[in-house]
Amino acid sequence: MSESDEQDFQPLVDRDKRLADARALVAAIENEDDAGEARLIGELTAAYSGTIFDEVGRMTREVHDTLRSFAEDERLGSLTQDEMPDARDRLHYVITLTEQAATRTLSITEEATPMAEKIVDRSTRLKDELAKVAASEADNSRLGSVVESMTRYLEATTGSGERLKGQLTEIMMAQEFQDLSGQLLMRVIDLLEQLEEKLVGLLQITAPVRGSKADSAKVESAEDGVGPQLPNAGENVVKNQDDVDDLLASLGF
Amino acid sequence: MDRNMKILVVDDFSTMRRIIKNLLKELGFTNIEEADDGQTALPLLKQGNFDFLVTDWNMPGMTGIDLLRNVRADPGLASLPVLMVTAEAKREQIVLAAQEGVNGYIVKPFNGATLKEKIDKIFERVES
Repeated sequence: MSESDEQDFQPLVDRDKRLADARALVAAIENEDDAGEARLIGELTAAYSGTIFDEVGRMTREVHDTLRSFAEDERLGSLTQDEMPDARDRLHYVITLTEQAATRTLSITEEATPMAEKIVDRSTRLKDELAKVAASEADNSRLGSVVESMTRYLEATTGSGERLKGQLTEIMMAQEFQDLSGQLLMRVIDLLEQLEEKLVGLLQITAPVRGSKADSAKVESAEDGVGPQLPNAGENVVKNQDDVDDLLASLGF
Repeated sequence: MDRNMKILVVDDFSTMRRIIKNLLKELGFTNIEEADDGQTALPLLKQGNFDFLVTDWNMPGMTGIDLLRNVRADPGLASLPVLMVTAEAKREQIVLAAQEGVNGYIVKPFNGATLKEKIDKIFERVES
């Protein structure tokens, strides 16, 4: 307690009365007057407890005034009524946009993959057919050199087609970001909703005219899933698939 | 391993369902169905003669871990191989999934090679 706080706790009763009570208390103790002792202790402390009640009263008024000015703060009203729902809508929109982009990309890779497969198949088949022709026309040297350059071209095409297939798969896998970022954003939206509910609840206590939803704070549980973990999330989180495999192996998997 | 086996892919994000489906197709599996959470997946499983279940964890309605419990509790489905593909990466969750009888566990982000490896491993064990 600071010095100024102590000064606030001035007893209600004047100094002469307190001194008289204190002397009477000493006398009562000396005379083994238990009843008198109890009464005098009561009187002496009552002088102070009155101050404590006053102090509690003053603090209550302060809390009340603070809460009232809090509720009357227009900023808070617009925060709960407009800005927080707006923020939520914006995040939902980000989810929609990323989903649209991911879906579009997936549609294109799904269309392009069979084309790449066809290129690989056809160039492989054509090369085989050419090899047969070359074998039956082995003495035709002019045809031989044409077959050779065509074969090299078809082999290169097959290689490019295979690489293209792999790259399309990579592009497809990269769309995984939509699931992970979507899950993270949903959690932020959830947090905003909880915060909004709490603020509305507080506003309702201080200014009962405003509406409020039921208070239902959600607690994260491993059972329901806690969503993607951020990098460096700590010891309790596996860092990659190798960690998962090690953990499962330690469980006899 | 039978490439014609019937597979159910369960994830609430359509993007992820498509990715897993495409990866499975690349691995030669073609008989694939989808569901967007445990609640829609369970009735499909009960009537559908599925050979393999690939599921996410965190989904509205019924989570993947509850779906796994329901599958293990159903006499007709108890031995169905289940692979979890999820962003849930806490050690306690992986241990829980193992205790509930999961056959494989992949954390997102993942790749096609990991999916192939885990599927191969699961069916090696199932068939032996």
